Amino acid sequence: MEVWNLIIANPVLNVLVALSHILGGSFGLAIIALTIIVRLITWPLTKRQLNSTKALQEMQPKIQELQKKYGKNQQKLQQEMMKLYKEAGVNPLGCLWPMLVQFPIWIALYQAIMRALATTPENLLDLAGRLYSWGIVNQAIPLNNYFLGLDLGGRGNIALAIIVGGTMWVQQKMTQAPSLDPRQASTSRMMLLMMPIMFGFMSLSFPAGLGLYWAVSSIIGIIAQYFVTGGWGYLRLGSPSQSAPVKGR
Amino acid sequence: MKQPKLFLIAVIALLPLVLVSCIGATQPKGGWSGPTVKDGIIYAGTRDGGVVAINASTRSQQWDHTFTSTIIYATPIVDGDLVYVGTYSGKVYALSIADGEDMWDYPRDGYMGAIVGTPVIANETIYVSSSDGRIHALNATGGKRKWESEPLLAGKLWTSPTVIGGTLYVSTYDGHIYGLSAETGKLLDWSFESQAGFTSSPVIDEGTVYVGSFDRYLYAIEIGANVSGWKFPQEEPAGSWFWASPIVNQGIVYAGCLDGKLYAIGAETGEKIWEFDAEDPIVCSPVLMDNLLVVTDESGTVYVFDIGTELGDEAVPSRTISIGASVRSPFCARDGLVYIRGEDNSIYVVDIDKGEVVEGWPVSLTAEE
Repeated sequence: MEVWNLIIANPVLNVLVALSHILGGSFGLAIIALTIIVRLITWPLTKRQLNSTKALQEMQPKIQELQKKYGKNQQKLQQEMMKLYKEAGVNPLGCLWPMLVQFPIWIALYQAIMRALATTPENLLDLAGRLYSWGIVNQAIPLNNYFLGLDLGGRGNIALAIIVGGTMWVQQKMTQAPSLDPRQASTSRMMLLMMPIMFGFMSLSFPAGLGLYWAVSSIIGIIAQYFVTGGWGYLRLGSPSQSAPVKGR
Repeated sequence: MKQPKLFLIAVIALLPLVLVSCIGATQPKGGWSGPTVKDGIIYAGTRDGGVVAINASTRSQQWDHTFTSTIIYATPIVDGDLVYVGTYSGKVYALSIADGEDMWDYPRDGYMGAIVGTPVIANETIYVSSSDGRIHALNATGGKRKWESEPLLAGKLWTSPTVIGGTLYVSTYDGHIYGLSAETGKLLDWSFESQAGFTSSPVIDEGTVYVGSFDRYLYAIEIGANVSGWKFPQEEPAGSWFWASPIVNQGIVYAGCLDGKLYAIGAETGEKIWEFDAEDPIVCSPVLMDNLLVVTDESGTVYVFDIGTELGDEAVPSRTISIGASVRSPFCARDGLVYIRGEDNSIYVVDIDKGEVVEGWPVSLTAEE
């Protein structure tokens, strides 16, 4: 726990508080700035993920061809697909890493929000031992809880939950390739709905500051995806049987 | 493609980690209500969200009163036949000193904001600071509202007010000190504004307010002035906040800091007279017992200083007693005994002369079946 505090939790907390001071005492703007910083730090991973996504999009006709050919032999289909991925130098799990890397940031951010906004007396007392001796940090306390009418330390509201769920759905929809295999198509559809609903629900249960982070992070993801993969990807498609419109194909 | 399935598995596997790590940070944990002693009975808020009365001689529990779903940070105060306690759920209760029966509560319907600072009683009135940002003044006998102030800040009024004469002084986390009429609750002409918020409740001596700040200084502010008289330390800030209110005695301010240091400071000059490093955070205000200054640190060590003797620049305690439990609650001292509530939900009685916990103590505050 000490290592966690030393390496992740306390730095995130102090950076958030310092950003809040720099940005005129707005904790909401500090969260947005931190989100951008996190996105910049994880950019190499994100770039890899987006390139994988783009490559997967470009491989869709071949994948669909394989699905048609080996649809009844799942084992052979998997083998051929893995071969195809290998030849194209694509890691289908590549998209997981930016998400996994962000898990510790989410946890640290959650803790930082609760501590920095001192939602309980214990959190306020605990904060004293976690702040660096930087003048910029000590002058920023106590922080302003409110941003655009949201109490960042309180639970998120329905509007925030819809924004979080909606932006996450758009981001996922942009990258989720359609499948001819009914089973895989069903899993994809479930995933496409489950994640936004889960995060939307979590936005209602967790501090609004964390919901703000998720929403901004998804919006940045959508923008990055738009420019790297060259368009709205699968968002424009209505039917899973249609192939992906990828620029330059 | 296995990708969505694996993704789903990863999310499901990691989600509990996120949730587990988050649990506990949102809810207050047990509070830090301290003990009060009157006529041989110790009254203390418990970590279970109740108040317990313990006979100090027999160590037996006289009564207990557990409130529903709340935490208690404020120390109970005793006046006449009633024990007053403010709860984190936002109610003030008056309990019978004899059996703990609920005599009245305020507000009758609903709640005010969370109460963290210990209420103050003066002139048959209870003054309560609340997380709704207001001070509430209640009639001590019947709990009828006398007045409530306008909001002094947007929430978290967690410090206690101080009453001097007909004026109530309040320090706020957004860096204000306000003077209010104790009679009407109206704001007086004078208020003080600081760039940094105040961490501790104000202490007033000889027309000067002494208060700790989030910028790691202790300030002396003359009532009526627009600028602070002095701040301590005079150059570099301290290692942490002056969280607990200081005490003032014969021209010397004694202030504990969360960096573990106890300072004796000239009240006139703001110059350091001596310091002592306890090494662990000092969360509670020191207590004076004749010439003995008693202070505890968070690790549960009690330090006693004989301030009637020359202590030099680096004070050495005359007694050091470890109670073996963490301490965050205010403590009190009577007749050579110090009463401390540990974070283990027990009351410890320390004999200063003997330098040890009195035999038979600690006594658990957990409500008896």
